[in-house]
Amino acid sequence: MAKEKTKSHFVGVRLTEEQKKALYTLQKTSDLSKTDILLRGLEILSEYYALGLDQPPLSIELKKLEEEAIQHLKALKKIKRREESVKQMIQELREVDEIIDEYGGEKNALIQILLKIQEKNHWLPKPALLWVSERLSIPMSQILHIATFYKSFSLEPRGEHLVRVCLGTACHVRNGPKILEAAEQYLGINSGETTSDMKFTLESVNCLGCCALGPVMMIDNEYHGKLTPSQVPNILSSYRVGELSMTEEQQKLAPIAQRPTPKQQR
Amino acid sequence: MTKFSQPNDLEQYRQTLQKQRDTKKTCISICSGTGCHAYASEKVVSAFEDQLKKQNLTNMVDMKRTGCHGFCEKGPIVVIHPHNYCYVKVKPEDVTEIITQTIQQGKPVNRLLYEDPELGKKIVLETDIPFYKNQTRLIFGNNRKIDPKSIDDYIALDGYKALVKTLTKMTPQQVLDEVKKANLRGRGGGGFPTGRKWETTKNASAEPKYVIVNCDEGDPGAYMDRSLMEGNPHSVLEGLIIGAYAIGAHEGFIYVRQEYPLAVENTEHAIKQAEEYGLIGKNILGSGFDFTIKVHRGAGAFVSGESSALMSAIEGRVGEPRPKYIHTAVSGLWNKPTCLNNVETWANVPFIINNGAQWFASMGTPNSTGTKIFSLVGNVNNTGLVEVPMGVTLREIIYDIGGGIPNGKRLKAVQTGGPSGGCIPEKYLDLPVDFDELYNIGSMMGSGGMIVMDEDTCMVDIARYFVNFLSQESCGKCLPCREGLRQMNRILNDITAGKAFEEDLELLEELSEVVQMSALCALGQSAPNPVLSTIKYFRDEYEAHLRGECPSKVCKALINYKIDPAKCKGCGLCTKNCPAEAISGEKKGVHHIDSERCIKCGNCLEVCKFDAVLKTTGKQIPISKR
Repeated sequence: MAKEKTKSHFVGVRLTEEQKKALYTLQKTSDLSKTDILLRGLEILSEYYALGLDQPPLSIELKKLEEEAIQHLKALKKIKRREESVKQMIQELREVDEIIDEYGGEKNALIQILLKIQEKNHWLPKPALLWVSERLSIPMSQILHIATFYKSFSLEPRGEHLVRVCLGTACHVRNGPKILEAAEQYLGINSGETTSDMKFTLESVNCLGCCALGPVMMIDNEYHGKLTPSQVPNILSSYRVGELSMTEEQQKLAPIAQRPTPKQQR
Repeated sequence: MTKFSQPNDLEQYRQTLQKQRDTKKTCISICSGTGCHAYASEKVVSAFEDQLKKQNLTNMVDMKRTGCHGFCEKGPIVVIHPHNYCYVKVKPEDVTEIITQTIQQGKPVNRLLYEDPELGKKIVLETDIPFYKNQTRLIFGNNRKIDPKSIDDYIALDGYKALVKTLTKMTPQQVLDEVKKANLRGRGGGGFPTGRKWETTKNASAEPKYVIVNCDEGDPGAYMDRSLMEGNPHSVLEGLIIGAYAIGAHEGFIYVRQEYPLAVENTEHAIKQAEEYGLIGKNILGSGFDFTIKVHRGAGAFVSGESSALMSAIEGRVGEPRPKYIHTAVSGLWNKPTCLNNVETWANVPFIINNGAQWFASMGTPNSTGTKIFSLVGNVNNTGLVEVPMGVTLREIIYDIGGGIPNGKRLKAVQTGGPSGGCIPEKYLDLPVDFDELYNIGSMMGSGGMIVMDEDTCMVDIARYFVNFLSQESCGKCLPCREGLRQMNRILNDITAGKAFEEDLELLEELSEVVQMSALCALGQSAPNPVLSTIKYFRDEYEAHLRGECPSKVCKALINYKIDPAKCKGCGLCTKNCPAEAISGEKKGVHHIDSERCIKCGNCLEVCKFDAVLKTTGKQIPISKR
C-alpha cells in the first residue's frame, strides 16, 4: 500500500494515484485552484469530524492537508500583496505620466507637475519623483531642491486632514498664536507634524487671505473663523469622530462646562 | 460663440447685451468672495435657488454670484437690485423672508440691514453705508456688479472697450505715452513708475519680450490682489493685453499663489472665455496683434514675489532672487526683456486708456496719482477692502471707513507695507497716505496691507513676529539676510523673554542698519523696517521689556495670571478649562492659580464670567496691596 503512494504536486503531501487523478479531474472540471480544492476538501472532511469519523489515519491525513492548505494560502497572499503594490505603483506612475503629458513634458513645468502630484497624494512619494526625474531628465538633486524650497511640498506622508492655522499679521494681532497652541495641545503634536494615527497634520501658514475672519483655522477646505482657543478642541474632535460629534451650531449653544475638554477626551 | 474678427463685432455684441439687460428686473447678487464663502455664502445661494424654484419665481428674478464686495466683516452680503438694498450676515433661514418681503413686496427686511453703530440707525441702501460711502471705487467698483465667471457681464459694463480703442486708434507709443502721462506707479510695493518700466522693456533690443502679472500676494494681512483676481479677472487681462501691445510682447504669464484656488480657477476660466471670443490669441480683433496668456501657480514661497525670483520660478527653478545690476525689464524671463507688474497696476490700465491720463492724474496727489486698494484688517470695526484716492489721511480710512477700534479701545499703531513696511504711531494719523509720505516716516505703501493695532498689541512682539517671519522666508542666498535676520530674531526673542540687556538693543539697531545696506534683494533690504520703526516710535516699550515688563501684557515670559479673590465665585469653570491642571480651589470657594504649573494659555481669562482672572506683568504685586 505504501509503495503505491507517489509524490504529489503539493509539497509534503503524499497522495495515492487514485487521489491524484481525482484531484486533477476536479481541478480541470471545476476551474478551481489547488488551494481552493484542498480547502473545499477540508470543509467536507470537517463534516466527517462532526459525524465522529475522525479515526487516527484519517485525522493525520487531515492535519497534513490542513497545514498544506494554510501554507499555500500564505504564499498566495504574499504574491497577491506584491502584485497589488506593483499594480498600485504602476497606476501611480501612470497618473504621474498623465500629469507630465498634460504639460507636454516640458522641463519648465516642473513646479506645476510637482504641485499636481502633491495635490493628488497630499505628498511627494519618492518613486513618483524618480519617475519625474527620468521623464524630464532633470537630476533628482534639482527636484529635491525645489521640493524642499517651496512650502507647499511635503516629502513625508501627511494626515487625512490638513489643519492650517493662520499666523498672518491680522490673525497675529487677534490672538492667532493661541489658536495654534490650543491645536498643538489637543493633537499632542507640534506644528509641522502629523499625528501617529495619520488623522491630522498640523501646519501654521502666513496668511490664508481672509483676514476679516481672524483668527482663522482652515481644515482641509473649510474655514473656521473668529475663533477662541477653547473652541479649538471641539472643532478638531468633530473631524475625528465624524458624524457622531456635535455640529457647530450645537457647540455654540452648549455651555462651556459641558463641552468636552482635551483632558476628558484623551 | 463665434470669434470676434473685427472691433465692430464686439461693439455690436455689447449693444445687444446692454439692450437685453433689463435694469428694472430684480436681481439678487450674493458675494462669493473667499471671505463670504468662508461664512457659508454658498448655502445662502442654494437656499435662494430652492425657494425661487418652489415659488415659481425663477424667470422673474436674476441671481448672481459676484466677486468680493469688500465688506468682509459683515459677510455673507446680499444686495437686491434695483432697490439696492444691502443685507448683511445673511443666513439660509433668512431667505424666505427676503423673498416674501423684498422680492414680492419691494420692502426692505429691517432685521438684516446694516446698523450704524454710532447712531444706532438702520441703513437701507448699500451706497449709504459709511463703509462704502466714503470710498472711491474705481478698480474695485465692478467687483460687486459682475459674475467673475461671465465675460458677458464684463463686456456689458464697457469691458474690453479700452482694448478696442487701443487696437483701433492708438499706436503702441501712444499707449505708452498715455500711461507715462498718467504717472501710474507700481501698486505692488516699490511704487516704481509703470510707464518707465514699460519703456525700458519696449526699447530693449532682444526678442521675444514677455509680460507678467504678479499675483503672488504673500504679504500677511493683505488680500486685495486675491479679491481682484477672483472677482474681476477680465479687468486684469484687459490691462495685460493693452500693456503687451504697447511693449510689443506676444506672450504673457499670470503668476498666482496656489493658496488661492479660486483665483486660479477664475483666471483660467477668464482666459478660456477671452480666447473663445478672440480677445486673446492670434490676430486679436483683426488688428494683426497676437498674444497668449499662461497661468503659473506659485508653490508657496514669500521671496518668489520678488521680480527676479518670480521669473526664475516660472522657468521651473527655485524662486531665488538674483542681483539686479541689469534690471529684469532688460533681461528677465529666459534672459529676455520682461515687464512685470502687480495685479492692481494692470487693472488700472483700461481706466487710463478709456478716460485719459489727465482724468487719472486728477485723482490722488501730484506724485501718487489714482486710487489705491487697502486691506484694512486687524483691530478695526469694519474689516475689509477699501479703495480710496491717494492722499487720503489714515484717520479717514480707519475712522470714517473702518468705523474705529472695537470695544472702545485706543489705537496704538498702524502697520503698512507688510513685513517690509513699518509701524506708524497714532500721532501721524493725519498724514496723507501716498508713496512718498509713508516712505518718509519709515514705512512704505507696500502692496496695501493696513493692519490696525490697538492698545493690547505689544510692539516688540510685532517686530519679533515680522523678523521671525522674514528669517523663515529668507532664501538664504546672501549672508546679511540669512545670518543677520537670524541674529536679529535671537535678540528680539531675548527681549520678549525678558533676558536682554541694554547693549542688545544697540546691537539690534546696528545689525538692522547693516542688513538694510548690504542685503541682495528687497526682502532683506527692507526687513529691518519693522524693527527700526518700532524702535523709533515705541522705544519706551523696548525699554520696559528690558526691565522685565510687557506694558501690553502679551509677551508670555513677562506676564502672570491671577485670580482676584474678591470677584471669584468659585464656579470652577476655569479649573475645567485649564489644560495644565494649574487651578485649584473648592467649589464655591476662592480659586488659585499655581504659577509654577501655569502655561499661560489664557483659557481661564477667556472663560471666566465674572472677570475674576487678571493678567499682570513685571514684578508680582499682591492684589490686596494695589
